[in-house]
Amino acid sequence: MTNLLTRIYRLMLLTYPREFRFAYGREMERLFHDQYRDAARRRNVAGFMMRTAADTVATSLRERFDGARGLISTARKAAPRGYVTEWIVTILVYLFATTTLVQAYVIPTGSMESTLRVGDHMLVDRTAYANPGALGRYIMPYRDVARGDIVCILYPENTRQTFVKRVIGLPGDRIHLHNKQVIRNGRALIEPYTQHVDPGIDPYRDDFPLEPRAFTSGRGQDMFEHHVANGEVVVPPDALFVMGDNRDNSSDSRYWGFVPRSYVVGKPLFVYWSYDATTEDLESWSVHHLVDVAEHFLTRTRWNRMFLVAH
Amino acid sequence: MLNAPLTPPVFHILIALADGERHGYAIMQDVAAQTNDALQLGPGTLYGCIKRMLTAGLIEESDERADPEMEARRPKGPLSAAKNDERRRYYRMTPLGRRVVRAEAERLAHAVTTARSRRLLAEGKA
Repeated sequence: MTNLLTRIYRLMLLTYPREFRFAYGREMERLFHDQYRDAARRRNVAGFMMRTAADTVATSLRERFDGARGLISTARKAAPRGYVTEWIVTILVYLFATTTLVQAYVIPTGSMESTLRVGDHMLVDRTAYANPGALGRYIMPYRDVARGDIVCILYPENTRQTFVKRVIGLPGDRIHLHNKQVIRNGRALIEPYTQHVDPGIDPYRDDFPLEPRAFTSGRGQDMFEHHVANGEVVVPPDALFVMGDNRDNSSDSRYWGFVPRSYVVGKPLFVYWSYDATTEDLESWSVHHLVDVAEHFLTRTRWNRMFLVAH
Repeated sequence: MLNAPLTPPVFHILIALADGERHGYAIMQDVAAQTNDALQLGPGTLYGCIKRMLTAGLIEESDERADPEMEARRPKGPLSAAKNDERRRYYRMTPLGRRVVRAEAERLAHAVTTARSRRLLAEGKA
């Protein structure tokens, strides 16, 4: 319980500006901990969490928008805002957030297994890699896609599907695999997040791009024909080379080529619910699945994965 | 700059630091005690105020160390010590902060005296 609430509070801390978080985040988390312990002793955890949430919304907005004030009372500040107002603000922010800023997404396959599991329900930050525009640059912590980021992308072969993969190569990077080891620009990557489930070597998969194969994918073929030099794939401009963490069992850039930069949907934020289900159940809605969830919600929910931040 | 009234959190935080340095949790507890639990500072409010008070020079950071009292109260278990680094950041009032809080207290005392002289307050009750 303490662990879960601490994770929730860490997420709340993300609403503060970065400098403020760096300066006081650790102390605030500690204070949260101490206050939680007091609230638990008084058996008033729910009230405490409500107060903390309202405090976080109010103060994070203040840190972002009028950092200079607040030492001195002003007429505006003198009228205290009640719970109702605080919660209306919270709900409005929430509605705005869930419609335009984030998107819910389920991990349907095991291609990122070891980092993300089948049945992890995640929130994806749609704005993380968006074109910020003139104003947005100051409000949101935009940055560009980096190597090693986990990204949510449109599947290039069928853009109605969304995949979650890890970015291995940026434009200009030279990439090849030797014996399952990724080598980027001549250096072997250290990748603690990967898992290998197959002890055998498949030369196409594990010594990529050594051996072209009869392709089913036009994009994969295009990559082999136009973007391989000296036994290495060279990532073209405005494209990414991505792979799944479950290396031996992942449908990724090795098979269907590069991902256009514009196909990046966003950045997975955290797991809000993780349910032990099969790929088929997760890919389409069925009454069977709903009944299954209703019956086994408590036992098959992986509580320990809740609010995990993927990285 | 500081002729206007202080916000209640800032005023009570300064009073909490009158006897010496304290860390965040101790400040929050003291403020709750001063106000009969009417003012319960959340982490965002407390550290937002601390940030601004540091900038204005009303308080300063002293150092970072474990609180022996909290240490003793903490249940011993596998989670303690190594994982749970218990060092806390302490804050103390600067001479400027002391002047500011005194001016504010005098302003309030004057207001109370005035209120009493107009029979808005019972004698001896502040």
